[in-house]
Amino acid sequence: MTEESQLVTRSKAFYITIGGVALVFALRLVQLQLLSEARYGKKAEENSIRAVVREPIRGCMFDRNGKLMVDSRASYTVTITPSEFKESALPLLSSILRLDTATIRERIRRGRQYSIFAPARIRRDAEFRTLALIEENRDRLPGVSYQVETRRSYRTPARASHLFGYAREISDRQLAEAGEYYKPGDLIGAAGLEAKYESALRGEKGFEYQLVNAVGQIVGPYNEGRSDIPPKEGYDIYLSLDAGLQEFAETLMADKRGAIVALDPRNGEVLAIVSKPDYDLANFSGVTPPEIWDSLNAHPEKPLFNRATMTRYPPGSTFKMVLATAALQEKIIDTNWRITCHAYFRFGNRTFKCHTQKGHGSVNVVEAIEKSCNVFFYNLMLKTGLTFWSKYGALYGFGSPTGIDIGEETAGLLPSEEYFDKVYGKGKWTRGYLVSLAIGQGEVGASPLQMASYAMVIANKGTVYQPHVVRAIYNKRVGKTDTLLHRSRTLPVSPEVWDVVRQGMVLVVNGTGGTGRSARVPGIEIAGKTGTAQNPHGKDHAWFIGFAPFEDPRIAVCILVENAGFGGTQAAPLAGKLIEKYLKGESEPGKPPRQKLEASETSSAPLSSVRSTLR
Amino acid sequence: MNVYFKEYFDFKTFLTVLALVVIGLISVYSATHAAGASVNFHRQIIWAAMGFLGMALVLFVPRRLLQDAALPLYILSLLTLVFVLGKGRTIAGSTSWIGLGVIGGQPSELVKLTTVLALAAYLSKPTTETESTKGLITTSVLLMLPVILVILQPDAGTALVFCAMFPAILYWAGASVFTALALVSPFAVAAAALVSTTGFIIAVVAVLVLLLILRRDFFTSTVVFSTSVTIGIAAQYLYSRLPLYQQKRIATFLAPDMDPLGAGYNALQAKVAIGSGGLFGRGFLQGTQTQLRFIPAQWTDFIFCVPGEEFGFIGAIVVLGLFTFLLLRGVRIASIVKNRFSSLTAIGITSIFGIHVIVNIGMSLGLMPVIGIPLPFLSYGGSSIITSLVMVGILLNCYSARKEY
Repeated sequence: MTEESQLVTRSKAFYITIGGVALVFALRLVQLQLLSEARYGKKAEENSIRAVVREPIRGCMFDRNGKLMVDSRASYTVTITPSEFKESALPLLSSILRLDTATIRERIRRGRQYSIFAPARIRRDAEFRTLALIEENRDRLPGVSYQVETRRSYRTPARASHLFGYAREISDRQLAEAGEYYKPGDLIGAAGLEAKYESALRGEKGFEYQLVNAVGQIVGPYNEGRSDIPPKEGYDIYLSLDAGLQEFAETLMADKRGAIVALDPRNGEVLAIVSKPDYDLANFSGVTPPEIWDSLNAHPEKPLFNRATMTRYPPGSTFKMVLATAALQEKIIDTNWRITCHAYFRFGNRTFKCHTQKGHGSVNVVEAIEKSCNVFFYNLMLKTGLTFWSKYGALYGFGSPTGIDIGEETAGLLPSEEYFDKVYGKGKWTRGYLVSLAIGQGEVGASPLQMASYAMVIANKGTVYQPHVVRAIYNKRVGKTDTLLHRSRTLPVSPEVWDVVRQGMVLVVNGTGGTGRSARVPGIEIAGKTGTAQNPHGKDHAWFIGFAPFEDPRIAVCILVENAGFGGTQAAPLAGKLIEKYLKGESEPGKPPRQKLEASETSSAPLSSVRSTLR
Repeated sequence: MNVYFKEYFDFKTFLTVLALVVIGLISVYSATHAAGASVNFHRQIIWAAMGFLGMALVLFVPRRLLQDAALPLYILSLLTLVFVLGKGRTIAGSTSWIGLGVIGGQPSELVKLTTVLALAAYLSKPTTETESTKGLITTSVLLMLPVILVILQPDAGTALVFCAMFPAILYWAGASVFTALALVSPFAVAAAALVSTTGFIIAVVAVLVLLLILRRDFFTSTVVFSTSVTIGIAAQYLYSRLPLYQQKRIATFLAPDMDPLGAGYNALQAKVAIGSGGLFGRGFLQGTQTQLRFIPAQWTDFIFCVPGEEFGFIGAIVVLGLFTFLLLRGVRIASIVKNRFSSLTAIGITSIFGIHVIVNIGMSLGLMPVIGIPLPFLSYGGSSIITSLVMVGILLNCYSARKEY
């Protein structure tokens, strides 16, 4: 091989190597830039664009007359961006926020889990003074900032704590269940309507896109803010509640333990719902100090417990209409069937007493209801039997939840043959068990809400409306009101039967021997039934259910006063006052919410303007 | 004048290099723009100007003078390397920088050129027999001295450039592929063994396959193979006996840009930058990876990402095309010059450019491990651009004297 041709070979080797590498690189460029551009482009955006959450304004709540009950106002939340925060600033921040360093550390830790570049909420509802101090010490507090958020404000004297409920910071457990939308530090409805209507009330978070560099510093707005998504305000909810009545009902129950539920018997709307003792929702707005939590949880009277929907006490004599309805409708008796009451009733070797010493004498079903004669109903129970009693109890809705739109409610307890068979064993229970059921004692339990619903059914002669607090949801984004639909069903009970039962109930309040005469109100014909639930742990619980006006009922109520004694003396007067307030009051029920929509816009406007000026 | 220029001045090479320098300046401007380091851009302009000045100067140096000065220049540059180790400034863990008042630089860049000149001078001596034992030992010593000195800095990338350039220049000088392989394989196997056992096995298999292809006599092949394997195993054994901190030092040496954010972070960000460029790029100063400093060492080692992201496939292909043309042109010059010294110098310079381009762009494209060596003409850095332009000047010098024996 000559030197010349060797050189040619070697040149070729170099040319081929260079060309080969260039080809591989060019193909790689095709692969990266032409075939995978979308993937890498997205990755580049994720790298450099940080979405900063803008909190939506929670929806408002209006009462049945369009009166604003709950809205939101601006509050300031102090935040820390973990990537920028310096540990050395902790003592200063701790003294400014008046929070101990351990709490701040824990909150930074939670925020860090989500993103070290995203501001983590450290303290909600900071005072203006705190913000001023942060501004003053800005240089010494790297990564500390604040954002405008909202907190609940309650515009009427009515507390309605258990009804409205509250939103609180999402827990780790909820976070795992609640899905993508929520991030640590977010508020989530935790009780009452705030929880039940969370998805409507909360709105949708907005995002501001900001450009960040590799160390996470904000360089400026992305795309001059054109890509930002503004937060969407939560929907307003329109309640059937009457703010005035609610407030009045709360004052009636002041210093008492128990519950009041008032329904519109024409449609199942809740007019008032009270559970006492209650708590001040103002303490729950934004950040709830742990001391308040602890004291509420440890309180012997359990103020967090919603007695209106969650208690399950024996209904006592108020339950007698269940048996009366069953016996009359099944034609086991009619109004001519009489029992002579000698003030006691013997069954086997046991004696059951009536509540008077003398006895009621000869009574038919109407008089038995009026006078609440136990002996009559003991006899009637044995004659009618458990099966019919259970059937009609269930038709009224006992033993199952009413379906009210407040998250928590008890199903109550309505025994049946199957129930007794299950609990005591087949054939191991006797008819003696039935005797006390006749007068609503023993193994039967209902919530005040169920009792109010029961009163509603008798008032409207047989229709069970699903009790509900929210009538309509106003969608601010499309300017449309969605009226909610609710279930209803009618009992297979003839009008004649209703007339008999209702006749008994109107005499309870208006008859000479009625047990509920203290509920009487001049000018209003009220029907009702008293009840006294025996309580093995203390004084009896007082019940009253009723409705008015008798001919065309517009309100059905249930009053429960715990450990108060007789229903006729303790609960009935409250019912009278409540009904009087509602029927004689200025409030005009039944107005559709649409007419009052302007109120919602004007109420949230100041907040929006605050937000935009502070940004 | 015009005729003279056409005859003696290689416009093709010069314009290619000019284009690369311009693209480099645009890229450095973009990379330093948002980072508030525009002072670097201004410096780079001055350095580029100095480089062109240097290019013009060496263009007129007689070849004879260059050949005679090769050895003294080589020794002088080695002395500066030794000086660097004693007195140099440490930047990013490597002691490779010396300052002389306002003028400073990395001698290791210059040593690449002086080593090429020294090797070319030795190999072009009429008495030298490339493949003789004496020839191989002498050239190996000429190579190993600077390699040891840069490894001590420690600067793995530059050492790699030396080692890779060596077989290329020997091959051009007339050595067989087998010889080149025999010289390189122990180092390659040892380096691979330090990276991982898998790397070691792959390297051994590769050596074995190459030996089988080359079909030398059994004895020599066995010696080469067993030497490689022995050195590889010894390297791994010695490595495992070292204290942990020294192991870590070696690991860092072999993968110097290992990032605390996790292995492959830099390589990934570079790929994202280039990939997001698409066909036309995201626009000058519009690349978020560049402007928001997601690319590590974005105006030095990862500079290729800037045209890749901001000018897209078109920009990247232009850069790649210019480099390819420059390299092909370098080989062409090496093959047409009549003088052996000039030819070897030309191929040595072209090889250095080639290794830089392959390793650097390969790294940015995620095809090569992250090894910190600059991309000639584009990367920010005075020593790099000045040396590169001076080397182009020598290449042009070789061209203009291509007909002289």
